[in-house]
Amino acid sequence: MSERGCRPGRADRRGMPLLADNYTASRPPAWQGQLGGCGIASCISLKGERIPGDRVARMLTIMKERENGLGAGYACYGLFPDRKDQYCLQFFFDDEEGKHGAEEFLSERLDVTHDEKVFTSESSTVPNPHPIVWRYFANVPGKREWRGDKGLSEDDYMVELVQHINEKVEKAFCVSSGKDMAVFKGNGYSHEIAEFYDVERYSGTMWLSHSRFPTNSPAWWAGAHPMSLLDWGVCHNGEITSYGVNRKLVEMNGYRCTVLTDTEVVAYMWDLLVRRNGLPIEVAAFAMAPRTFEEIALMPPKERRLAEWVRITYREAFLNGPFSIIVGRSRPETMLIALADRKKLRPLIAGLSPDDSTLYIASEECSMRIVEPDARTWAPEAGNPLVAIVGKGVIRRGTEDPFLGVRS
Amino acid sequence: MDRSFCTIGHTSDCECDKGHLSVVDGKAVIDLKCTDGPMHFATLNCIMRKAMRQGCKSIELNGVMGQRYIASTASAEGLKIIINGTPGNDLGAFLNGPTIEVFGNAQDMTGNTMNSGRIVIHGNAWDVTGLAARGGRIMVKGDTGYRVGIHMKEFAGTRPTLVIGGTAKDYLGEYMAGGTVLVLGLGHEGSPVGRSLGAGMHGGQIFVRGTVLPEQLGPGASISSPSESDKIEIQALLDDFEATFGTKVPGGISGMVKISPSSSRPFSGYYDKTNI
Amino acid sequence: MSEPMKQGKRFDHRLPERFIPTIDRELCRVCKRCVSECSYQALEFKESRVVAVGGCVACGRCQALCPANCIEIRPVPPQFAPHGNWSEKSRRAILAQASSGGVLLSSCGADDDHPSIFDDLLLDAAQVTNPSIDPLREPVETITYLGRRPGRLEMCDGKVIIREDDTPLVRLDMPLMFGHISLGSISYNAQRSLFMAAKELNIVAGSGEGGLHPDFYQYADRICSEVASGRFGINPQYLKGGAAVEIKIGQGAKPGHGGHLPGEKVTTMISETRMIPRGTDALSPYPHHDIYSIEDLAQLISVLKESTEYRLPVGVKIAAVHNVGAIASGLVRAGADFLTVDGYKGGTGAAPRVIRDHAGLPIEVAISAVDRRLTQEGLRNRVTVCAGGGIRSSADMIKALALGADIAMVSTSAMIAMGCRVCQQCHRGLCSWGIATQREDLCARLDPEISSAHIVRLFRAWNEELKEVLGAMGIDAVESLVGNRDRLRYRGANPKIAEVMGVKHIGEGWG
Repeated sequence: MSERGCRPGRADRRGMPLLADNYTASRPPAWQGQLGGCGIASCISLKGERIPGDRVARMLTIMKERENGLGAGYACYGLFPDRKDQYCLQFFFDDEEGKHGAEEFLSERLDVTHDEKVFTSESSTVPNPHPIVWRYFANVPGKREWRGDKGLSEDDYMVELVQHINEKVEKAFCVSSGKDMAVFKGNGYSHEIAEFYDVERYSGTMWLSHSRFPTNSPAWWAGAHPMSLLDWGVCHNGEITSYGVNRKLVEMNGYRCTVLTDTEVVAYMWDLLVRRNGLPIEVAAFAMAPRTFEEIALMPPKERRLAEWVRITYREAFLNGPFSIIVGRSRPETMLIALADRKKLRPLIAGLSPDDSTLYIASEECSMRIVEPDARTWAPEAGNPLVAIVGKGVIRRGTEDPFLGVRS
Repeated sequence: MDRSFCTIGHTSDCECDKGHLSVVDGKAVIDLKCTDGPMHFATLNCIMRKAMRQGCKSIELNGVMGQRYIASTASAEGLKIIINGTPGNDLGAFLNGPTIEVFGNAQDMTGNTMNSGRIVIHGNAWDVTGLAARGGRIMVKGDTGYRVGIHMKEFAGTRPTLVIGGTAKDYLGEYMAGGTVLVLGLGHEGSPVGRSLGAGMHGGQIFVRGTVLPEQLGPGASISSPSESDKIEIQALLDDFEATFGTKVPGGISGMVKISPSSSRPFSGYYDKTNI
Repeated sequence: MSEPMKQGKRFDHRLPERFIPTIDRELCRVCKRCVSECSYQALEFKESRVVAVGGCVACGRCQALCPANCIEIRPVPPQFAPHGNWSEKSRRAILAQASSGGVLLSSCGADDDHPSIFDDLLLDAAQVTNPSIDPLREPVETITYLGRRPGRLEMCDGKVIIREDDTPLVRLDMPLMFGHISLGSISYNAQRSLFMAAKELNIVAGSGEGGLHPDFYQYADRICSEVASGRFGINPQYLKGGAAVEIKIGQGAKPGHGGHLPGEKVTTMISETRMIPRGTDALSPYPHHDIYSIEDLAQLISVLKESTEYRLPVGVKIAAVHNVGAIASGLVRAGADFLTVDGYKGGTGAAPRVIRDHAGLPIEVAISAVDRRLTQEGLRNRVTVCAGGGIRSSADMIKALALGADIAMVSTSAMIAMGCRVCQQCHRGLCSWGIATQREDLCARLDPEISSAHIVRLFRAWNEELKEVLGAMGIDAVESLVGNRDRLRYRGANPKIAEVMGVKHIGEGWG
C-alpha cells in the first residue's frame, strides 16, 4: 500500500470533527446512527484458493470517491485453517484495564486456548487514539450456563457473551466472534486501515470490505464496517429507513443493539432468520427485500402463497430504504451473499474471473477491473440475492426467480 | 412457540378421529381416552364436526373430563349429543338446535348465548348458566351457582327457558330481558334463591317455588303471585322436568312466587340530556 | 334511583341558549324549508316569518339546506359573569343537574379543549441520505393485514412449512378500519353507507353491538362482527359470516361502562336485528358476565375460535386505560389475533359526561405503551394492533401508525363525511342529518349511494396523503412505518410525554 503521494491531508476530511469529545474505541459517541454513501467490495475464491489481502484492498481503495476517511474495514474468511473449529474473538481495548477486564470475563466463561496481539502499524496515519487490538481463540465449554439457562447452543451462548461484553464490559469491544474469520476495521481511509492492520500479511478464501462516507454522524472504531456477530460479516451501503421497525424484531428475539447502526441490525437479522429460524437464503432475502403485493399477485399460486406468508410473517424484517449489502459467513460453508434493496437504489455489480475461479462483488465496476481486467460482469437484480460458496461456485446469480431452489 | 399460545392444526381432512370415533348406523361414539393425558378440546370438537358432517343423528361422548366449548354453534337439525363425564366451560355455547344431555355435572357458562336447542344436565350446573340465551331450554336437575340466567332475552317466537331443580345463588336473572326461569328448590329448606334477584330486569319472569323476601330483590324487580296464564306455563315446565328426570315435584305448582320487572325502562329518567 | 327524580314536581333552572340561528330577512324567501328541516324544533313560522324559538344545537342543517343561503348560526355570547375558574360550562352543568338530579349525558368524543398530542408531533422526511419517492409514479404500498402472525416461519428439513389452517388474515387495501357503530345508535342508511364504503375501499367496518341486519349480509366479508356484553343479535351466521370477530370489552369514550340503547330507539327494525322486543331498553352490561378475569377472556376467545372453526381472526377491543400495555400483553397471551385500543377522545352515541371527559388515556400514549410492552415481551410481531379515538385526519392516522398501530380506526371522521356536524346530540335520537336517529322521516334524509361515495372519497384521499408522506420519508411500504418512532419528533410543551412515548424531541438527531 504505497499511495502516500495521493493520500489526502487532514483538511480533506472535509473539515468535520473526527471524534466526539467522549470518544473511546469501544463506546459509541453520543450520536446515534451511521448513515452514508459508502463503498463495498468483496472477492471469493470459488475453487477454495487463498486470496491475499492486498487484492481486496486494491478493489476498495480504487473507489476512493466513495469514502471520506471516517471508517473502513475488512473481513477475512478461511483465515485460520489451523484453528478453524475454534471461535476467534477479536477485540478493541481502550487500554490495559479494558483488556484485563475482558480477559477476566472470558476466562470464567470460555476455554481460551490461545491469544495474540493483532499486528497494528505504529507508523500509521490513522488518527489517534488507536485501540489495542487483540484476538483470543476459544472453545465453548460443554457445561455452560448463562443467567440460569443451561440449554443454550454454543452459538447462542457466544452471542450472549459478546453482547454482554459490548454492553457492559468497560473499555472493551468484541469486533468479531466467528470461526475461521476476523474483522479488521477502524476509523480512517480504506488505504490507511489496510496499512494499519497490514492486511497484505493475511490471506483467505473470501474477503469483504467497506469504506464509509457517513454524511451526518461522526465515526468511531467499532462503528465501522464490517459489522460482525458469530461468523456473520455485513458490509452495507445505504440507509435503512425502517431501522426502528427492524430493530424491534431483533430486540424481540433477544439481540441487544450496542452499536446503534442500521448495519448492526442487518447482521442480527441474518443471524435470526438464517441461523436461528433456519430459513433458506432465498427466503431470508425475500423477507428483507420483498416484492410488492402487486408483483406477488402475478406469481404462480404456490410461490404466491409462500411469498405472501413470508412477507406477512417477517414484516419487521423488511429493510426499507436504499441499500446494497454483502454478507459473509463461514459455516456450514464459506458463503457470500449480495443483496440490493427491492428498488435497486444502491449500486451492486458482480464479476467472474475468466477462468471462473474468483467472484467479485463491488459498488462499482472499476473495483473489479483493477484486479481482474477481463472479468465478466453482471448486475444482480433488485431484491434478488446472489449466493456463492467457496469450493462450489455461484449458486445464484441474483437474476433467478425468487424462490428457485426452495422446496415448500 | 410459547405454550401460552393457542395451538391449532385441525382441518377437515386431519386424522385426529382415528381410534376415537366409531360410527354405526348414523350413531357416533367418541371415546376420549388418550394415552397422553386428556384430549384437547380442539381435537374433540374437530372429531364432533367430522361426525356431524357424516350426518350422524346422535353423538355419544365417553370419558369427558373438562373439555371446553363442546358443540359450540352446533346447528345440525335433530342432533342429539350424549355426554358421559364432566364437560368443561361454555358447553353448548351459541347452540343452534341440537339437544345435549349430560350425565354428570356441568361446569360454568353452560349454554352461553344459546340460540335454540335443549341442554339437560342430570346433575348440577355452576356459575353463569344460560348467559344471554335467547332461545331453547336448559334443564338442570340439581343446583346452580351465581349469576345464572343473566340477560336472557326473547324475541318474536323464541323465548329461552331455564328450569333449575335445586337452587340458584345471587344475581339470578340480572339484566333479564325475556324468557322464563323456574327454580324448584327441591331438597332444600328456605329460599332457594340468593340476593340481588332479577337486578335490573326489564323483561321475562322468574318463578320461585318457596319464599322470596323483598330484600332479596335487586333494583327493578318486583314480586307477585303467578297469574292463571303463568300457571299454565309453569305446569308445562313442571311436566317437562318430571318427564325428563323421572322425578315428581311435590306440591306441583303450589307455593310459587313470580318475580317480574317493575318497568321495561328501569332507568329512564336516570340521565340528564341538557345541552350544557 | 335518586330521590329528586321520583318527585313529581320540578323547579327547573332556565339556562341561556347556546346558539341562535339568525336569518337575513333581506334574503329570506320564507320558504319554511328551515322549519321543516329542524328536527330540534328551534325554528317556527310565526306571523309571516321564521323565528328562532330556542333549542338550537348548531347541527347546521337549516344553514346547509336554505335555498337562499340566508341563515347563519351564531354562538350566544357569554351570559354569565366572567370567572376564571367557574367556566360557563361548569355552571350550566350544575344548574342542569340541580334541576334534573340526573347523570349528565352527552355524545361524540370528549369535548374538552386539551390539545391533541397528535398536534405536537412532527413527521420526518428524507433528505440526501435516502431518496424520497414519488407515489404517483412509483409503487408505495399501503396493503395491510389484520390478524395473527406466527412470529417466525415453520421449517422442517430445510423445507418451509405452509399450513393451510394457519392463522387467518384479512387483507385491507389501506391501514384503516371503521369503528363499531351499531345499528340503533345510527340509522339503517348510515350503517349501510359505512358498509358500502368499506366494501368499496376494501377495508373492514365494525358491526357494532347489535347484530347484523339481513340486508347487510351482502357486505359480510368486510364486516367485523362484534361480540359485546349484551350479546345482541348473535347467532352462528353472524359469527361465521363476517371477516373477523371482535370481543368488545370497552370503548374509549366510556371505559368501564356498558351500553344503553333507550327503548324509544328500539324500533321494529332494530328489535329484529338485536333480537329483542320493540320498545324495550337494550342494555349492554358493564362487564361481560362470563369474563371476570383474563382467563375468562381466553375462554371467550377460544369459544369464538371454535365456533368459527378457526377460519376468522378473533380480536379484542379495549378502552385505553392507564395500564393498557400490560393488559394488551395479557390479551395476546389469551389468544387475541388482533387488539383494538380506543383512546379517550373516541366517539359514542351516548355516554355520561363524567366518564367521557375524565376517564381513559389519550390514544397517542396508549399506542406507544402497547407497542413498547408487546415488543419487550416479544409479542409485537404476532398480533395486529388497531387504534382509534380522535383520529381526525390522515396526519393523525400516519402519526398513529408511526407510534405503533398497524391499523387506524375511524368513526367520527366517516360520519362527518356523511354530513355529521358533531353537535353532540346523538343520544337524543333527533339527528337532523339522518345519521344518529331512528325516526323514519329523518333517516330518509340520508342516501347511502351519496353518503358512501363521500366516505370513499374522503378515505381514498387520506390514503393518497399517506402515500405522499411515505414517499417523502423514502419508505415504499406502510409496514415500514408501523412503530417507526424515529420518524417522529415532539414539539409540545411537555417533554415527559415524548419520553413516555419513546419519541425524540425536535432538534434531537437521527436515532
